[in-house]
Amino acid sequence: MRTILEVRDLKKSFGGIHAVDGVSFEVREGEILGLIGPNGSGKSTLFNCILGQLAPSAGEVRVDGRPITGKRPCDLARLGIGRTFQLLQVFPQLSVRENLILAGQEHEGSMWSRLAGQRDAGLGPAAERMIEFFRLAGVAGEKAGALSYGQQKLLDAAMAFMAGPRLVLLDEPAGGVNPAMLADLRERLRELNRIQRATFVVIEHNMEFVMSLCTRILVLAQGRIIAEGAPEAVRNDPEVIEAYLGN
Amino acid sequence: MKLPGRAALGIAAAAVVALLVAAPFGLKPYGIYLLSLWTAMTIAAIGLNLTLGYAGQISLAQAAFVGIGAYTAALLTTQGWPLGTAFLVAPAMCFAVGWLLGYPALRVQHHYLAFVTLAFTTLVFLIFRNEEWLTKGVYGISGIPRPTLLGWSTKAPLDFYLFSLGVLALVTAGTWWLVRSPWGRAFMALRENPVRADSLGVDTRRYTLMAFAIGSALGGVAGVLYAPLVQFIEPTAFALALSLNLLLMVIVGGSGYFFGPFLGAAVSVLLPEWLRFTEGLYLILYAAAVMVLMTICPTGLLGLAERYLERAKTRAAAGPAPRDGATR
Repeated sequence: MRTILEVRDLKKSFGGIHAVDGVSFEVREGEILGLIGPNGSGKSTLFNCILGQLAPSAGEVRVDGRPITGKRPCDLARLGIGRTFQLLQVFPQLSVRENLILAGQEHEGSMWSRLAGQRDAGLGPAAERMIEFFRLAGVAGEKAGALSYGQQKLLDAAMAFMAGPRLVLLDEPAGGVNPAMLADLRERLRELNRIQRATFVVIEHNMEFVMSLCTRILVLAQGRIIAEGAPEAVRNDPEVIEAYLGN
Repeated sequence: MKLPGRAALGIAAAAVVALLVAAPFGLKPYGIYLLSLWTAMTIAAIGLNLTLGYAGQISLAQAAFVGIGAYTAALLTTQGWPLGTAFLVAPAMCFAVGWLLGYPALRVQHHYLAFVTLAFTTLVFLIFRNEEWLTKGVYGISGIPRPTLLGWSTKAPLDFYLFSLGVLALVTAGTWWLVRSPWGRAFMALRENPVRADSLGVDTRRYTLMAFAIGSALGGVAGVLYAPLVQFIEPTAFALALSLNLLLMVIVGGSGYFFGPFLGAAVSVLLPEWLRFTEGLYLILYAAAVMVLMTICPTGLLGLAERYLERAKTRAAAGPAPRDGATR
């Protein structure tokens, strides 16, 4: 399988703290890679460095073999790299439909063509399909801020897929979502992986969720990768158990 | 369900337009002057509402742009140029300066940005006051003519009001189109969550600059209208007090609501005049009314109306009240 994302010796320090300390890995097209590790192990910092929200102290990130280090998040989004955040990040005053249209509208054409073009940027039908797919039809016209936490989480994920990205980095998609909705979310993600051939990197604390969704797992502790492999192998790795539970 | 709502909106809009056209008839020149002032201030507030209400960028610089517009119109028309030239030159200049003023907004937000823009207003005021060779300093520029359009002279207060109303209608239509386009959605995303917007491909840098530039250009349009209205301009009219007043208009009317500036400008321009019968008390009453409104409803008059309508909708959805009235 082709390598889509390549991270080489990435480092990020805040003062004396090495949040990410020389991390290297590859993400292959079509896989669902899980990124786990105890709190403070550097997972979100790693995401933010890959996606341009934070400038790495050292190292390099490549997409399709081309370096993307230093590019702005909006440029990466247009390269087909989407993300969700650990904390909810929807636009509360916009309706669910508007949130989705916004998530896709900047990916084609120029700023000027959007000014002259259709109000929904031609994305109305795509937004409806996404609403249907994530089972948000009952609340499509509601303001996103009025939705339940779980529904906002689904919307958050749906937004990351509006532009048909090739690679999506999901930061704790299962956090705070009830078990019934969680099973649904897992199904949606699997289906997107199958239909859109979208590649995922998933940060998650919910072990059951991450082990059942991912094809490969990376374990991060104190800013370094301490284990890598199939879910079953990682689950039984003594070093991983020690990182989570201590001696 | 949608059609009756739209029809009602259409009827309401037609009624408001008819009212605005009929309003000056029977009014004394001062009353008509106030209505014309309302149109100019509404345009300036629409611009600020775009920058602040939609895109979430606080600005205390709007008075400076009204000033740049007014001085451009005054200088050009007193030299014999038609007012139409000023309508082209001033907004273009304000757009360019507003774009540059947007750069600090890429680094600082909220009250820090307020101070940056406040300093800009002061800077422009000092230029108006001190660069006498251009602006005639504290003596101001007088004898600003009112325009003649295809043989129609707008010299009389009523004619100038109708002209101003036409400009306001054009600005309203243009802004309506803008905020309902994908740009309007991107502006709101900027206001609500710039980090998330960025991760979705929204070029937050360009949209921030654009929000400043367009809002400032509308300030310039307001200034071009203001100069021939008052026919005499001097620097203090465009000092910080005007910026604060325009901010008040946006907030009182309802920041981020399309019709907020119309209402806010009406409150700011007309309410003090209606309270004049209280003589010495009118400004005190006006200030107290604003304080009460902001305490009850920080989202402004239209925010208050929306809250009321939502409650009514919730009550209607809950079904009719019990017949015996036991709950009351």
